[in-house]
Amino acid sequence: MAEVKIITEHYDKDEFISLEGYKKFDGYKMLKKAFKMSPQQIIDEVKSSGLRGRGGAGFPTGVKWGFLPDNGEERYLLCNADEGEPGTFKDRKMMERAPHQLIEGMIISAFAVNSHKGYIYIRGEYSYAAKVLEQAIKEAYDAGLLGKNILDSGFDFDLDIYRGAGAYICGEETGMISSLEGLKGQPKLKPPFPAIKGYLGKPTIVNNVETLASVIYILRDGVDGYRKYGTEKSAGTKLFSVSGNINKPGTYEVPLGYPLMDLINNECGGLKPGRKLKAVIPGGSSAPVLTAEECQKANMDYESLAQLGSMLGSGAVIIIDDSNCMVDMLNVIMHFYHHESCGQCTPCREGTGWLHKVVSSISSGTGRLQDIDLVDEVASRMMGRTICALSDAAAMPARAFIQKFRNEFEFYVREGRSKVKGVTDAQL
Amino acid sequence: MLNCKVNGKEIKVKQGTLVIDAIKQADYDVAHYCYHPGLSVAGVCRLCMVKIGDNPRLQIACNTPVQEGMEISNEDEQVKDAVKWGLDFHLINHPLDCPICDQAGECELQIQYMKFGQYDPEMAEKKVKKRKVVDLGSKIVLDTERCILCSRCVRFTDEVSKTNELGIFNRGDRSEVGTFEDKPLENDYALNTVDICPVGALTSKDFRFRQRVWYLKNQSTICTGCSTGCNVKVYYNEEGLFRVKPEFNEDINGYWMCDQGRDVYKFVNKDFRLLEAQSVTEGQAEPLSAGKAAQLAGEKLKELTKVNGPESVGVVVTGQYTNEEYESLFDYMVNKLKVKNIYHWVNNSDTMDDFDGLLLRGDKNPNTYGLKEIMKKYSIQTNMSDLEGAIKSNTIKTIVVAGPENQAVYPDFNERASLFSQASNLIWFSAGPVSAATSKHTLVIPTKTYAEKSGTYVNYKGTHQSSHKVTTIVRGALSLSDSVTLMSGESILTKPVGPQKAMKTNFFVNKSGEL
Repeated sequence: MAEVKIITEHYDKDEFISLEGYKKFDGYKMLKKAFKMSPQQIIDEVKSSGLRGRGGAGFPTGVKWGFLPDNGEERYLLCNADEGEPGTFKDRKMMERAPHQLIEGMIISAFAVNSHKGYIYIRGEYSYAAKVLEQAIKEAYDAGLLGKNILDSGFDFDLDIYRGAGAYICGEETGMISSLEGLKGQPKLKPPFPAIKGYLGKPTIVNNVETLASVIYILRDGVDGYRKYGTEKSAGTKLFSVSGNINKPGTYEVPLGYPLMDLINNECGGLKPGRKLKAVIPGGSSAPVLTAEECQKANMDYESLAQLGSMLGSGAVIIIDDSNCMVDMLNVIMHFYHHESCGQCTPCREGTGWLHKVVSSISSGTGRLQDIDLVDEVASRMMGRTICALSDAAAMPARAFIQKFRNEFEFYVREGRSKVKGVTDAQL
Repeated sequence: MLNCKVNGKEIKVKQGTLVIDAIKQADYDVAHYCYHPGLSVAGVCRLCMVKIGDNPRLQIACNTPVQEGMEISNEDEQVKDAVKWGLDFHLINHPLDCPICDQAGECELQIQYMKFGQYDPEMAEKKVKKRKVVDLGSKIVLDTERCILCSRCVRFTDEVSKTNELGIFNRGDRSEVGTFEDKPLENDYALNTVDICPVGALTSKDFRFRQRVWYLKNQSTICTGCSTGCNVKVYYNEEGLFRVKPEFNEDINGYWMCDQGRDVYKFVNKDFRLLEAQSVTEGQAEPLSAGKAAQLAGEKLKELTKVNGPESVGVVVTGQYTNEEYESLFDYMVNKLKVKNIYHWVNNSDTMDDFDGLLLRGDKNPNTYGLKEIMKKYSIQTNMSDLEGAIKSNTIKTIVVAGPENQAVYPDFNERASLFSQASNLIWFSAGPVSAATSKHTLVIPTKTYAEKSGTYVNYKGTHQSSHKVTTIVRGALSLSDSVTLMSGESILTKPVGPQKAMKTNFFVNKSGEL
């Protein structure tokens, strides 16, 4: 098994960005096919394909679509392009290299869920991607692919871009909805879930960029064709953003279930010469870190990583070799969550700051031995107790770093310095 | 009705009841800060965690409706741990300045720590510094370090007063409550935010630093600030009344009251009161006891009605007395003295029917409805505007005035007082001093205020509410009923009026006598 290019097949071609070029490679062909199907047929296909949300939570997309109430209310389709999980950059690549793929995926999905208005909520920092998308949307409108009566199907769909302002929390679907509504970007209390009461209080579906684009290929290849790749429970291919101490960082599309070590050694060209693998964060900064030993057993799918106590998340693989200090690294992660907590729920608002202060006191050499256990204790009390998952996202890496690399933390407390940095390889 | 179990106790609750209310209904304590029954659910303090059935994930009780057969526990070890840590998260950045905080004694952080906490703190890091003593306008001061960001005040201004002054700015542990562009928080209901603030973040300028709350007693009564008749609690001690807070009544005021109503206690206190009766004859003032003065008034009226006829007497009444007082006054005037010139004096006829849509009404009298009813009962149809002519033409030679208790809400008070003074005899029952009453023969008699007597008030929509005596501020002051009894020549049983002294109490000794 190796890299399988389904979504990313034409990403190397510049012409794929324009409508004309996109059409050359069968672009918008599946939209025509979709219009010949009934919305329910599309939903059924997506359900049977086993497609799971590619944004991080991995919730079955067809099931999510099925939650929409049949009450005749206006529905919204939102594309979550607020790709903020540290280490993740696959959606950016998708939007920059294939904007029409996302638009086509959105129109098909909107047709399936009977929504006539969609928004792409794009991360504020992605100004180039936003520009590309804007141009593509304009092309699509000019070509009658958006707006009223698309391709004489009688189906109307309007699409707009909304740029975020840089808050990580707006990538959480209800936080995103709040932001889109013009409110402070804070997650909303659930229930009610967005499918029942979402954007402007109306039934709303929020899907990730990659999820929406995948719908095209489910229609193209059929359920069996799509399921040819991946595992029983994690079907299809997935884009991974690989970064860190690796020779060829980048976005790679591999079938789900692909062994992590193969991804590192084959696709990504292995580690830098002379370096040993220390750890891998397999699914973005909130996913519990894996030790080098655990990496040997890890397959890149939802179940395998869950079994190892971690998660696939957004597919951001961060490679850590033996030149990195785990204490300093956790400090950076804790700084991020302290900075990004929206401040609504007390355990997260106060806990993220507390964790950051304690870890930073360790990494500045003033920590106490009991601080190491305190981090684990505080983090454990932040889990599962808040409106959204940011609190868990901060707690999980803290607990995993402490549990798996405790010796580095103890060394730092005892010696007042990093076990790794400023020490030559021979001394290690 | 739904059946559910709270900590093993079986109860029945109404459809749609939230778990948090079910727990309270079952008489169990539940820790919480952000939930308030008069506001939308925020679900942010994360303290009201409960275990439902054997779901391993704890739920918040404030956003979970009870379902048939639900088994709720908030005494489970898992819940206790969550609450303990929830409290710790609230307290790690709290300044713990209780000794100088006005909320101490009624602070939810203190109360809930004593109930659910009592652990040793583990926070050894530096606390977050935030703005202190933020002036939010003429009524309120904000301390953002004490604030636990429960968002009750923000929701109040969004949902109840609908004035939207407040917001939470910044994020994470740098979040602060504030007003947009630092504009003041000035609306007619702003002080409710102080009541619902579970901690000492929002304090009332009127009350702060004036009393420790444990030195105050409180009692339920009716607000007499306008014709809505909000249910309130007044907080008082031997020195007088110190503050007023709303008390829940679904039909009248819900959980709230207006800020004007909170000022109503002020005229009750001694500084603003008429402390003894005065008889002024041709500019010569002579103090006398209220009881004596009432007896004297009775004798005078008897004589004057005999000499000049009952039509020479005019009685002016405001809507600030109780039904019981009106009954005895009207019985005495109409049945005994045959006086029929009874006039209804209102605070401002142009604004009487004003209503702000929430609670505040233009009719600044608690019992206009009751007064009108009794006037109807005695078939009295007079017009206050006819009084001026009657006095000027000397048809009315004697004026008896009852009220207003709260002179501050009668803008025409002085103007009217000088009109009444044109009559040769003036008998004025008043709670406050009436320096503008300057008739040839003036008798001013101190009356009790709403806090010093029991009685019935009828609000704007005809709801009868009885109010109970809170305390005595001016010893010897009479209610109208007592005055009438004395005027009729009968006696009332009163304690002898001596110098006022308060009982000594050591507040630091509890009932068992231990410190």
